[in-house]
Amino acid sequence: MNMIPTIGMETHVELNTNSKMFCNCAVVETEVPNISLCPTCLGLPGALPVPNLKAIESITMLALSANCSITRNGMFHRKNYFYPDLPKNYQISQFDLPVGVNGSLEIILDESTETIEIERIHMEEDTGKSIHKGSGRIDSATSTLLDFNRSGVPLVEIVTKPIIRSSKEAVSYIEELRQLVIDLGISEGKLEKGNLRFDANISVAQEGDKELGVKVEIKNMNSLRSLEKAIDYEIKRQTKLIDTNKEIIQETRHWDEDKEVTSSMRSKEGSADYRYFSDPDLPNMILSEEFIDNIKKEIPILPSEKRKKVSDTGLSLSESNHLSKSEDWIYDLYLNTQKITNDSKTTYNFITGELQGQLRKVEMETLPEWFSSERLSEIITLINDNKISFTSGKEILTNLIKNDINPNEFAETNNLIQENDFDEIGKIVKDVIESNNDVVQRIKDGEDKLIGFLVGQIIKSSGGNINPSIAKDLLLKEL
Amino acid sequence: MNLSNSSISEINKLYKNKELKPSEVYEEVFTNASLSESIIHAHLKLFQEEGIEASKLADERFVKGKQLSDLDGIPIAIKDNINLKNHETTCSSKILSNYVSPYDATVITKLRNSGVVFTGKTNLDEFAMGSSTENSAFGPTKNPWNPDHVPGGSSGGSAAVVSVGSALASLGSDTGGSIRQPASFCGVVGFKPTYGTVSRYGLVAFASSLDQIGPITNSVEDAKIIFNSIKGHDPLDATSIQDTSIEIPEDKTAKVGVIKELMEDGISDESKNEVEKTIKLLEEQGNKVVEVSLPLTKMALSIYYLIAPAECSANLSRFDGVRYGSRESGETSYEMIENTRAEGFGEEVKKRILLGTYALSAGYYDAYYGQALKARSLITKDFDNIFQEVDYLISPTTPTPAFKFGEKTENPLEMYMSDLCTIPANLAGLPAISIPTGLSNQNMPLSIQLMSPARTDSSLLNFSEKLEKLVAFNQRTPLLKDMK
Repeated sequence: MNMIPTIGMETHVELNTNSKMFCNCAVVETEVPNISLCPTCLGLPGALPVPNLKAIESITMLALSANCSITRNGMFHRKNYFYPDLPKNYQISQFDLPVGVNGSLEIILDESTETIEIERIHMEEDTGKSIHKGSGRIDSATSTLLDFNRSGVPLVEIVTKPIIRSSKEAVSYIEELRQLVIDLGISEGKLEKGNLRFDANISVAQEGDKELGVKVEIKNMNSLRSLEKAIDYEIKRQTKLIDTNKEIIQETRHWDEDKEVTSSMRSKEGSADYRYFSDPDLPNMILSEEFIDNIKKEIPILPSEKRKKVSDTGLSLSESNHLSKSEDWIYDLYLNTQKITNDSKTTYNFITGELQGQLRKVEMETLPEWFSSERLSEIITLINDNKISFTSGKEILTNLIKNDINPNEFAETNNLIQENDFDEIGKIVKDVIESNNDVVQRIKDGEDKLIGFLVGQIIKSSGGNINPSIAKDLLLKEL
Repeated sequence: MNLSNSSISEINKLYKNKELKPSEVYEEVFTNASLSESIIHAHLKLFQEEGIEASKLADERFVKGKQLSDLDGIPIAIKDNINLKNHETTCSSKILSNYVSPYDATVITKLRNSGVVFTGKTNLDEFAMGSSTENSAFGPTKNPWNPDHVPGGSSGGSAAVVSVGSALASLGSDTGGSIRQPASFCGVVGFKPTYGTVSRYGLVAFASSLDQIGPITNSVEDAKIIFNSIKGHDPLDATSIQDTSIEIPEDKTAKVGVIKELMEDGISDESKNEVEKTIKLLEEQGNKVVEVSLPLTKMALSIYYLIAPAECSANLSRFDGVRYGSRESGETSYEMIENTRAEGFGEEVKKRILLGTYALSAGYYDAYYGQALKARSLITKDFDNIFQEVDYLISPTTPTPAFKFGEKTENPLEMYMSDLCTIPANLAGLPAISIPTGLSNQNMPLSIQLMSPARTDSSLLNFSEKLEKLVAFNQRTPLLKDMK
């Protein structure tokens, strides 16, 4: 029997605002605990929240870019639960009136385009951090340290519909979302810093079943690699349970990075009652047409639009996807260079292969200022026109990275230009044949491998600037 | 001189004429406090040294002719659910008995900048939940008119200190009548402004959508002066409103409505009598007085006891012993939180947290909290309609004069009934004032309440000031004479 996995993703994106969601405390990046605090983000008696306008602009921009309907008259709700790193023991979040609903994101899976439907995008505040000593979990810790620097940092939660079919698709979705928040400039989007954190809801059903299987939530996946592995593991685990007629329990499971397995965290999750109610400390979140229009004007080019632009030059979907997720200067360099060379494949390969490879080797992250698309296109054109060998192209590139050189001039002055004039080469070929009569005789007698020797002689007497294949063709013709 | 019969403006005039010094006034109120505290227990803390120091600084300002405001050098007491930097804010709860606030509430900042001398923190029902101050973890406050009677609540301490002259005025907070009811019980003026006119930043929240800070004073004029000093939009409180006050008639052309439902069963004859007496005075002056009906006021109590507990159940979640306040030990952090809350909260607070948690629970939300929200908006609409016809509404402030200790502790519903007349103004966010008008057979004060449309606070105060003169109550607690 065929098993169909269904995955829904819940992603938290930490916004890059200067201050926290409901107070003026700075959002800080530090190991020093509890240095950016005030009565509000510490939940002191009598303190009140005031919404951060910048954060609301950011989430609105994201919701618009993800094709959501915008809730014009939304509100904040209190989500009630007790946890030591949640200062008020309720989280200010959104419930039935989130900023964005019913959106979608286009992703690329191999060479095809898929649409990931988004259920909702809402605004909330982050919690503090707990450091459990003696064990990683609160119930078995010997002591717990609390750091409230993160408390109140603005978070956007993006929830997809349960429509993702594979771990690869989930990874591609996260990559797309990550690129989107980076391009919009609303988050640093760094997974390793926790700017982007995701949980996966996974169920498995038999092909043809009308209903989804029992949902299991997986937490603690800290990289795309662990996301892929955890989903694959969980699909296998659930499939095996179904195959052996065992029950799948609705629960939250923890991905163990070292053992590469999921294990049960808590199973009462399904019955949690957060007692949501609208936060009486905050007025309704009214997003006017004017506000939304102004945000729309500020939306930069989106990853999907970048992809379209690149694929219009003739690249494949996966190549276009790759460029849309590369840094801006690579994407721009490709487009500008391709415009001059008019050769998308060579330009793409030369930039993503040779150029990025060389930069990595010398540990450079960006290009020197003299490195323009014009100069790069000169190198590519020289190669394409057979004026220089690919090896010479690489050599010019190495120099262009180091020094303010002009590729054409460099090729000339360093004698890298190949002789492509047939008459000119023909003369040299004749000369070489005349002065190597014995060798010519031996070739004619059947010693083919001596052809290489003659080609070498031709190149040598030309000073190394002859295209070897042309030389060989002419030589064979003469013989 | 007899300070307690002097108004803030009179004292300010004496200060300016250098006939009186703030430190002298402070000394007198402190003497009153020292004499009365053993009888009425209205203060949780007196700021003796700080008060002397602050009043001396005020002395210097008047010597130099550099007074900060009309409130400069005026001694004012603060309800102990309003944060004053570097002082305890206990909310009369064990759970906050050791809590020292690192910041000033916005109202405190404003009063500080006005040169006010803070006399101390006053007693209240724990977290402002109650109508008699009997729910204080640190013992009840007694009514200065008769210590066998309650001072009302929850701002019982703040009303009692003004009544007995151990402060010239005080700040209270009013969620369902907590300023007006104790003001009425203690024979002083209590004013609850329009929701949002006074910042709540720094007021420990009970029910955020109902809470409002206001003054308790000897006169309407004093209430006006304090209100003008503490009101105004606050960027730290997202529910505070821009100052867009609305004017309505303030003289004999004003039309007054008597709320029929608050002159029926459940209201004592003595309380009704005060309203009728006042209506006569108004009519003699030329005001038109008509009977109006607000049928939903009968539901106000039920609506209030769903909305207020629901909000408090979340507002009080932060008291968990993790970051501040008292902490009980436990095997796990959850046990610690449970033990802390079990030990730290009193019975009434626990009762309301339970009630509110229940009302918000999945499966019950729609039937209780959701329904209460709908009914609340209907009450607001009812008031809007009534105010198309009349400018002010008059009613008793309380159904009875101050009751005796223990009289209502056994029957919570009866206790809740004492806020019957005051709760509607909180549900609709309206300004309301309690003005003392007479004494009961047992010589306990009685008052009337005036309400007006949202944002008409200034008109309400001006109209009340005139009415106060007509009523000419002018009586003080006998305790003052006994003390001298």
